[in-house]
Amino acid sequence: MSTHIVPRHGKSFKERWYLSALWVGFRTTFGHFWRNILNTNAIDVLEYPEVMPNDITARYRGHHRLTHRDDGSIACVACFMCATNCPAQCITIEAQARIDGIDEKEPRRFEIDLLECIFCGYCVEACPCDAIRMDTNIFSMVGNARSDFIRTKEQLLATQGAYAPTHSQAKGAHT
Amino acid sequence: MSNVTLRIDEHTLTAPKGSLLIQVMLDNGLSIPHFCYHEALEADGNCRMCMVEIEGQKRPQIACNTPIKEGMIVRTTTPSIMQTKRAILELELRNHPVDCPICDQAGECSLQEYYMEVGLYDAHVAKSDKIHKAKHVDLGSHVVLDQERCVLCQRCVRFVHDKAKSADLVVTGRGATSVISAVGAFTGNGYAMNVVDLCPVGALTSSDFRFAQRVWFLQSDASICHGCARGCNIHLDHHAIKGGIDTLYRLRPRKNSAVNGHFMCDTGRISYKSLNENRLLEPHVEGHATSFSHTFSLLRRTLDDKSQTIVALVSPHWSLENLASVKLFCARFEIPLFGAHEASIEPSFADEWLRVADRAPNRAGLELLGIDVSPHARDRALSRAQVVLDFGHDATLSSMSTRYYFGTHPHSDAQMQLPVAAYSEESGHLINCDNIVQHYSGSVKRSEPLLSLHALLGLLVMEGAWATQPFWHATLIDMAPSLEGRL
Ligand code: SF4
Ligand code: SF4
Ligand code: SF4
Ligand code: SF4
Ligand code: FES
Repeated sequence: MSTHIVPRHGKSFKERWYLSALWVGFRTTFGHFWRNILNTNAIDVLEYPEVMPNDITARYRGHHRLTHRDDGSIACVACFMCATNCPAQCITIEAQARIDGIDEKEPRRFEIDLLECIFCGYCVEACPCDAIRMDTNIFSMVGNARSDFIRTKEQLLATQGAYAPTHSQAKGAHT
Repeated sequence: MSNVTLRIDEHTLTAPKGSLLIQVMLDNGLSIPHFCYHEALEADGNCRMCMVEIEGQKRPQIACNTPIKEGMIVRTTTPSIMQTKRAILELELRNHPVDCPICDQAGECSLQEYYMEVGLYDAHVAKSDKIHKAKHVDLGSHVVLDQERCVLCQRCVRFVHDKAKSADLVVTGRGATSVISAVGAFTGNGYAMNVVDLCPVGALTSSDFRFAQRVWFLQSDASICHGCARGCNIHLDHHAIKGGIDTLYRLRPRKNSAVNGHFMCDTGRISYKSLNENRLLEPHVEGHATSFSHTFSLLRRTLDDKSQTIVALVSPHWSLENLASVKLFCARFEIPLFGAHEASIEPSFADEWLRVADRAPNRAGLELLGIDVSPHARDRALSRAQVVLDFGHDATLSSMSTRYYFGTHPHSDAQMQLPVAAYSEESGHLINCDNIVQHYSGSVKRSEPLLSLHALLGLLVMEGAWATQPFWHATLIDMAPSLEGRL
């Protein structure tokens, strides 16, 4: 197997001498520590679930979803890149031939076990078709049985994204 | 033949005079990108991917058509030769659809590999400017052609002409619009699917394996095809998806110049299906599933009952280890044992290349172990038998006798059935039609506990050593001294 070496970033002396970064980190930590311990009434508290967080950033990794193409059909081509890259091995895919003429391959079964998922986002990074995203802002997942946490292809396709655009942005990864 | 010494980059190598440079490099595990060259086919030199620099030659040379010479100095990594390789690869990818996500070859594709090695990572051609060709042509014989992915190396064409001796595949068209096409129905004379292995890219893929699994998940065992007495060397590719059972996905030929070269027949290649489906997984008595302990006690009672006439039959489908265990077992209980007969001879299966008429993988082994194969004695014994211990033999019995069956698949006419491991789940030795002793091993794990025939019989006679390889090694040599040094 051959590899493509990507140059490492952060070569300056300041970056390589990690103590300066450590100093910045500790300043924040101890800043909070002293502020909170000197005035316990001013500690930031969110009365969840009555009050919902309003500071979720666009980079937040929430519940997964499978995206659609512009024509509304499934974007995923069952390439298994996400399943291969997943460190928790919680994505189960079975592929089949796609017969609607839009593409050649699609998943018959696509399941994510959210109890095993570590929400690392590597599946999203790996996907060549922008077919899986974690941009739903859904952070609360509740169920009564283990099986409730296995999300099926249909559930993942029905889950909405929190931001526009809602369609797969991949332009002809395989047309 | 005399040897010559040459230098390739920082390696000094010695190889027989007259060898092709590319073969010397491949034999020594050196990287040399190539498409059209294949060890089993004659050098063609059409793809130009195998360029190297040879000291004293002005221009780069192709390694696949260059015989080595004494003192030759070859370079494969200088900036200028890397630039040459990059340019040739760019041409190969000029009209390639780059649809790795949906291509079954991904993970074992030469294009992917060389792209990582020498690739031009930023394309000069927009996807919309590429020439389009047919993407899904079902050629027949389980082979699917994608003309866009083809690099026109013509390995498939040359294989079909030179090895399979048919004229099914040709190149049609000119220049950038050249494509591979089939003339009539593609049969490859029963060896069609070898073109799937030969094709260095995803242009020829197998419809049987289509989208079944990604190749990097597959675990591969070195085994022997049990389809006929040739005993082609194969890879057993299997995988268990999460929560599923370990399943065989495909068989691929494994190189052995003394037996099958790089190839295997299509019948053998598809034969894995029966190992996945319709298996005997639990002991059965009178058609009902039951426990091993119950079956064992019934069986022991029969074996100890001296008033019954018991005869044993064994088929030539088992390994030497299993055959020897049957022989020891029958000797212990003084049961007459008979072996191979005509049933698995199928003259229409034979051809001029690999396939032979004997569809059993180990008839030679059965004979070597001295198991009685005379039809007369067998028929005489069978006509008097009340109980027949049937080790995968499948002979028709007279209505008077009951069959106790040891096998991998259910038997419709058996009083008792005991499940045993198939060859994909155990290891052993076979002797092929040319008297070559071959070892196979398989690690497919069923969720049900399946024992090898020899381990099962060992349990029945309460000898743990019957489950071990060293025991069989010594026992086999004891039974057939000519096996010494061949196991
Ligand atoms: S977020 Fe990480 S752990 Fe979860 S499915 Fe994706 S790759 Fe796997
Ligand atoms: S990586 Fe993307 S296209 Fe491939 S299987 Fe996963 S979601 Fe589907
Ligand atoms: S189909 Fe495959 S083997 Fe045949 S010419 Fe094209 S790339 Fe070569
Ligand atoms: S020739 Fe015989 S041993 Fe070889 S693949 Fe075909 S059936 Fe199997
Ligand atoms: S491998 Fe040498 S020219 Fe094709």
